[in-house]
Amino acid sequence: MTAFGSLLAATILLPLAMAACCLSCAFRARAPSLLVLAPLPGLLAALLVPDGSSALFPAPFRLSLMLDRPGAILLGGAALLWSAAGAFAASYMRSDPAKAGFAVWWLLTLAGSLGLFIVRDIANFYLLFTLASLAAYGLIVHEQTARAHRAGTVYVVLALLAEAFLLLAFVMLAAGHPDPNPAIREVVATLPASPLRDAIVTLLILGFALKLGLVPLHVWLPLAHPAAPMPASAVLSGVVVKAGAIGLIRFLPFEAGLPFWGTLLIGAGFVTAYYAAIVGVTQTRAKTILAYSTVSQMGLLAVLLGVGVENADPGATSLVAYYAVHHTLVKGALFLAVGVLAATGGARLRPVLLLTAILALSLGGMPLTSGALAKLASKPMLGYGLVSHAMALAGAGSTMLMLHFTLVVAHDVRDNPASVAPAGQLVPWLAVAAASLILPWSLYPAISGEPLANLIQPDALWKLIWPMLLGALALLLVRRFERLPGAIPEGDIVVLAEAGTPAITRLAAFIERADAHLRCWPVAGLLLLALAILIGGALMLQA
Amino acid sequence: MTPLALAPVHVATPGGYLLVLALTLPVLGVLAILALAPRRARQVALASMAAGHAVAIAILVELLRTGDALTYVVGGWQPPLGIALRADGLSAALIAMTALVISATGLFARGMQDLSPETRDGRAATTFWALLLATWSALNAVFLGEDLFNLYVALELLTFAAVPLVCLDGRAETMAAALRYLMFALLGSLLYLLGVGLIYGTFGTLDIRILSGLGDGGPPLSVALALMITGLLAKAALFPLHLWLPPAHAGAPAAASAVLSALVIKAPVFLILRLVLDIAPPEAAAFAGQLLAILGASSILFCSVMALRQARLKLMIAYSTVAQIGYLFIVFPLASGPDGMPPWETIAWTGGTLQLVSHALAKAAMFLAAGVVAEAFGHDRIADLGGFGRTLPLSAAAFGLAGLSLMGIPPSGGFIAKCLLLTAAVINGHPWLAATILAGGLLAGGYVFRVINTALASPALPLAAQRVIPRRLEMTALALAVAAVLLGFIPLEPFGLLQIGRSGLATAVAP
Repeated sequence: MTAFGSLLAATILLPLAMAACCLSCAFRARAPSLLVLAPLPGLLAALLVPDGSSALFPAPFRLSLMLDRPGAILLGGAALLWSAAGAFAASYMRSDPAKAGFAVWWLLTLAGSLGLFIVRDIANFYLLFTLASLAAYGLIVHEQTARAHRAGTVYVVLALLAEAFLLLAFVMLAAGHPDPNPAIREVVATLPASPLRDAIVTLLILGFALKLGLVPLHVWLPLAHPAAPMPASAVLSGVVVKAGAIGLIRFLPFEAGLPFWGTLLIGAGFVTAYYAAIVGVTQTRAKTILAYSTVSQMGLLAVLLGVGVENADPGATSLVAYYAVHHTLVKGALFLAVGVLAATGGARLRPVLLLTAILALSLGGMPLTSGALAKLASKPMLGYGLVSHAMALAGAGSTMLMLHFTLVVAHDVRDNPASVAPAGQLVPWLAVAAASLILPWSLYPAISGEPLANLIQPDALWKLIWPMLLGALALLLVRRFERLPGAIPEGDIVVLAEAGTPAITRLAAFIERADAHLRCWPVAGLLLLALAILIGGALMLQA
Repeated sequence: MTPLALAPVHVATPGGYLLVLALTLPVLGVLAILALAPRRARQVALASMAAGHAVAIAILVELLRTGDALTYVVGGWQPPLGIALRADGLSAALIAMTALVISATGLFARGMQDLSPETRDGRAATTFWALLLATWSALNAVFLGEDLFNLYVALELLTFAAVPLVCLDGRAETMAAALRYLMFALLGSLLYLLGVGLIYGTFGTLDIRILSGLGDGGPPLSVALALMITGLLAKAALFPLHLWLPPAHAGAPAAASAVLSALVIKAPVFLILRLVLDIAPPEAAAFAGQLLAILGASSILFCSVMALRQARLKLMIAYSTVAQIGYLFIVFPLASGPDGMPPWETIAWTGGTLQLVSHALAKAAMFLAAGVVAEAFGHDRIADLGGFGRTLPLSAAAFGLAGLSLMGIPPSGGFIAKCLLLTAAVINGHPWLAATILAGGLLAGGYVFRVINTALASPALPLAAQRVIPRRLEMTALALAVAAVLLGFIPLEPFGLLQIGRSGLATAVAP
């Protein structure tokens, strides 16, 4: 295996090896402080390994890895956030007695979520997807509060549902293929001609939409992300949801295109973006607002993916990755900011709040921030029709939501006693914030094919500013309704689903009664005879 | 009526004596236990286990080396006069699985008995070792038998060894459970024996290989097969004939539960497989297979929900066994390959076998882990076990890993099994079976997560263990669970070992 190949392999194997080493007590005690190192092979791979490199593991592992452009962009951003959040966690959870267990879940989720960006074959994609999904459960319920348990239950039910959808989709995809574990790219090339195409695409979109949190499959996200400890919230919202994005990037046929499904994704994306912004603005907890903002932003990612599939535009995948990495870094930095702000007070509060506000408005597309770059880069792809206007309106919604977040968080921390956040938290946060402001600039020319100079023309700036003004106006309007804050519970429509619990309980109770009945001697004896007659009849009819 | 072919039906192979060893070694162990002092029982049992393990491995090696089935013709008398023993790929795999699970439970039982030295060499302990070895011998006899009456004897031996395992502790409720088990198993035996009599009266032979060459056997064969299959279903406790299983498996001591749930109910399932695939005419088998698949699917859904509703850990695992057995019955329609491809070359055959083996390992691991939990805390009410993962991390890990296999989460044998079955369902166009497989996985996820969640919880009042559990005891369950996970590295295609020695039957059936 080449040096590049081993670097790709180490991206997955180092965190897994560290998780395995946690079996030893000596290592376990030090594991939290080493979390910062686990994603480094991934970061190096994203920086050094050229596009198109691959690595193959011989049987029985059947693992094959490959790095392409969208994968590298996502891997780089994600590894950076994992590393910084790992450093943050070491300081944030210093006095937590259960931090060793937390580190194990952290490492397993990390291995799965980074591996997804580089895995090439279908079986291991499913394996890593499952690893990331299920290990994240440990992060969500870590605080062991009633809230965390409720969030964990909703999360696990929907995560397992997503697994089931995807397993069936993958099995259908690979069913006609001579190789039982084919490369994703090969089976996706045969997808448009498959007789099961519509069933497969439906299942794929359902499975990945559950992960991305598209309305109405988003209910777990506003519950789960705020329930986790701060650094875990950052990676869950920043990186782990991107499993859905990389899934759609890998499994939708961007080369052949699927116009109907593209339109459907665009529709679902916009509904998600607006809905989450509106529900988010009624929320009163900073972390929940950020979670709704994640839902809203994932809606916009779905729009970009939908446009790419509708127009059969393979270049869309890089743009989606670019937009996603902007969100990864900004959302990660914002969650860490909530943690830093909670430990900051007095004179230091103002600069920290200012940077937080800049980061928040970046999601609304503030000029010169990564949000603006992402929006401008995707403009040509979206065209200048209805989709483009709807996208601008979504920018207004994001601005409204993020201004609301800034006001809420500023209100929360205004009475903090004078103090400074520990350097172990401040430095990682600043690193992610800096990366979110710098990294997109360096990628922009390669992604959009335009020089940076185009970014500061008045025309481009106006396109960014009017949605923000609209958003600010909307917030002013919204804040006049005094009964709005807290009007919609966290997880909104999950409450409706939970109202259906009694019906399910009744069904289960009915099954229990039926079982008691079936296990009576007379009933079982009769059934035994009936079965003998039935089987005999079946055998005789055909013989 | 001339099944007496001139050419011998069974040709003894050089490695055939290994099959005799597989049958007799455990029996010799039982005799030695009865003859020697009680305190020697465990040494004898453990020595027999080591020897039996070696024999199982030797059979597997010999089979892979020659690439053909092993046969032993008892006394050199050809059927229908004599009796043959035969190990094809499937039998060898099951024999190896049995050896592994029996040895692991043996080690576990030894550790468990060491916890209370005063009763270590008592009556219950000695009986346990004798019954364990007898069960083993009976299981091997079922997997190796070629003669339907010989198989009946093996099944009876199995029942009479397994029933006392349920009520070793002599409590009234386990006695009731054991009696219930005994009565229903006897009903099943009766039906089976009726079928055997019908076949012998009509065809004058009981050798499966000769019967498979008969082609269309007419109504007598159909009636006989229906009686035998129903009898075996009662012994396998497939829904809706599962009345005896939950109390029996949940009430037995942990080591016994592991053997009962992992191995004992697999013997009738294996025989149903042989009856349907080897003896029944293909068209009739296809129709009856549909019926069995419907039962299997209902078993998966119904009993998974029941498992979710159980308050006690061992009852939950017992209901999960009934649910998981269902997967073995949905194999029948899935294994009918395209264009007359014989069943054992399909992926569903490999999937079904893998499900059988991985369930055996995972379920044994779960029962052993549950046994450790019950021993440590004195009860197994799930609601009162919050945070048991802190006290017993290895048992919680074993339970979780075994749970992965039951849920069909990669990497695990259960995942490969479900993936293969799902692929077969998609290729053969059985959307309802595909949906059932997935729904079963979701429900299994529900009941496994309920326990894992309890293990990870941190209650206000930390859970205190009543007694210290040595690490070694926990390691046994973990080793079995890891073995179930390692099965996940088997390739996703029809597995060569399972086809060894099957083809002779195929040509005999084909018109």
